[in-house]
Amino acid sequence: MKKFFVATSVVAALAGSTALADDHLSLEGKTIGVAVVGTQHFWDREAFNGATDKVEELGGTVVAVDGGRDNQVHADNHDILLNRGVDAVISILGDGSVEPKFEALSAADIPVFTVDHPSPHSVNNTTSDNYYMGTTIGRYMADAIGGKGKVAVFNAFENSLRICGTRTGLWKYVLQDYPEIEIIQPELAEEFANAPEDARRQTLDLLSQYPEGTIDAIHVSCWDQPAIGVVQALEETGRTDIVVTALDGGPETLEIMAEEDSPFVANVAQQPRLIGATAAENVARFFDGETLVPQTYVDVVPVNGQAEAMEAYEALGYGSLD
Amino acid sequence: MQANARHQKHALATFVGLLPLIIFLALLLYVGLNAPNFLTFMNLKLVLAQSLPVVLAVIGLSAVVMAGGDDVVSGGIDLSIPATAVLCAGIVAVITTAGLSLVLAAGAALVACMLVGGINALLVTLLRMTPLLTTLAMFVAVVGINNVITSRRRLDLTSDAIASLRQDFAFGLPLGIIIVGILVLISYHLLHRTKWGLNLQAAGGSRDAAEISGIRVNTLVAQSYLLAAFMGFVTGFFILARGNGYSPGTEDNLMLEMVLANFLGAAFSPRRVVTMWGAVLGAVLVAAISIGLKTIGVNVFWTDLIKGALIVTVVALSAISERVR
Repeated sequence: MKKFFVATSVVAALAGSTALADDHLSLEGKTIGVAVVGTQHFWDREAFNGATDKVEELGGTVVAVDGGRDNQVHADNHDILLNRGVDAVISILGDGSVEPKFEALSAADIPVFTVDHPSPHSVNNTTSDNYYMGTTIGRYMADAIGGKGKVAVFNAFENSLRICGTRTGLWKYVLQDYPEIEIIQPELAEEFANAPEDARRQTLDLLSQYPEGTIDAIHVSCWDQPAIGVVQALEETGRTDIVVTALDGGPETLEIMAEEDSPFVANVAQQPRLIGATAAENVARFFDGETLVPQTYVDVVPVNGQAEAMEAYEALGYGSLD
Repeated sequence: MQANARHQKHALATFVGLLPLIIFLALLLYVGLNAPNFLTFMNLKLVLAQSLPVVLAVIGLSAVVMAGGDDVVSGGIDLSIPATAVLCAGIVAVITTAGLSLVLAAGAALVACMLVGGINALLVTLLRMTPLLTTLAMFVAVVGINNVITSRRRLDLTSDAIASLRQDFAFGLPLGIIIVGILVLISYHLLHRTKWGLNLQAAGGSRDAAEISGIRVNTLVAQSYLLAAFMGFVTGFFILARGNGYSPGTEDNLMLEMVLANFLGAAFSPRRVVTMWGAVLGAVLVAAISIGLKTIGVNVFWTDLIKGALIVTVVALSAISERVR
């Protein structure tokens, strides 16, 4: 509880102090391209809105392109920004297919700022503290199952998205200290586009393979959209003794966590709107001549159990769950 | 009087047949007037570069439609091409990421793709199954197999040879565009200038007439599906080059754009039938529209809606034009 208040007050203090210090920031007369991989999911949409709102607040003009949750379309969209001749690009998420596009933009002297996508071609990457996310969810999950048992993991992106590599890698690192926890092989791979429904189907298959008492937790290692489907499958089959953990902590999953006897017990909430806005501020800082660090980390809010889910929901401005 | 009425009817049919093109050109003009830098040489290069996978896929599709006839329901169609393309991309990505040679990867992918084409050909010619449903089912099945092979994971490209399709230049032009240009010319010759190609068109134009004149229609139809599968194979490499690797889900957009390009292309032919040449131009137009709509800031879901509506319009107009005639 105390830790939670510390976390949120730190966030508030940070937000306040940057607002004061950055009064002079401006994107007046600049056209900023904002490319986002999709806007269907809360996280993507919020990061996108955070970035575009901040660009406009700072007096810039936004050219937005949306990949419709298709990585290839998202990558191709950068060509359009290049052709439009924008002053800078903010690129949100995306897999390896965007790298050649970043290279082309940099070659044309258009600086690239990324969100959740570290790249050698980007001036700065704004992201959550993924290290803390990975270790925290590892500890919470281990605690929730008493330090032993079998865990299934949805892990489609560990090798393709660096942020997921960090989160999953550190989750596994923590589990090394719990020798009695076993990760079920093969690991599961969720779909990128229709994650909740796909994860529901895969969980049903998993449950028929592992009868009652032979599986203790299901973890989604990089985000939490699949966890929505996982919880559905557990409720359909009455196997809510299985613990669910995931990352991102958007309002729809915090709501599930806040339900009575929810199997969804732990999460780490991000602040996607703040991340998007911070990326936009970084663009302004860059044009102001400031030297940026390669990675800007935005604080996260650990959420352990029902009560903290309700608190986080309110603290992050999603409303009230009482 | 009667001659005049017939003349008017003919003029109407021509106009309706050209409407899809007119709509497209009007859209392009609108985009061109509203988007900065849209009507530039660099954008033309961008349009061509982004259209390459669709161009390759429609070469295969137009051959199948030419051989089977262009009735959307009972004629020839191969919706499995995008799946064959991602199957090739998936197999090549998996094998090359495992550190094995590109030649081996390409060989394995070729065998798999031709197997898909062979099964399509057998089901359509021997079992007389409807191509539309057969190849749609095949699309789903092949995407499924590919998901098993790739575990639905993103795989980064490790082969420089494939990357050169995207980033290398020859004679001042992107290598990928040159290679596809050459393939287009070869296919054009094959489909429109050789005896085989003319027989293929005859088979699709009127199956009965073709059979009476001694053309072995089934063989030609089967060959068209094999050609389509081969084009899917080639498309796979361009998908890998474009995406700098394999990303799951590429097949959906390819399917939409391939079908739209193919039927839009019919508007280019004087008789409003599907031709390879028309389909290729259609593919370039579709890429131009996609890029144009995004350039003027149209929401991605609206873009899909617009493309879907354009398919319906194009097919409906060709049906109306046929009836008027």
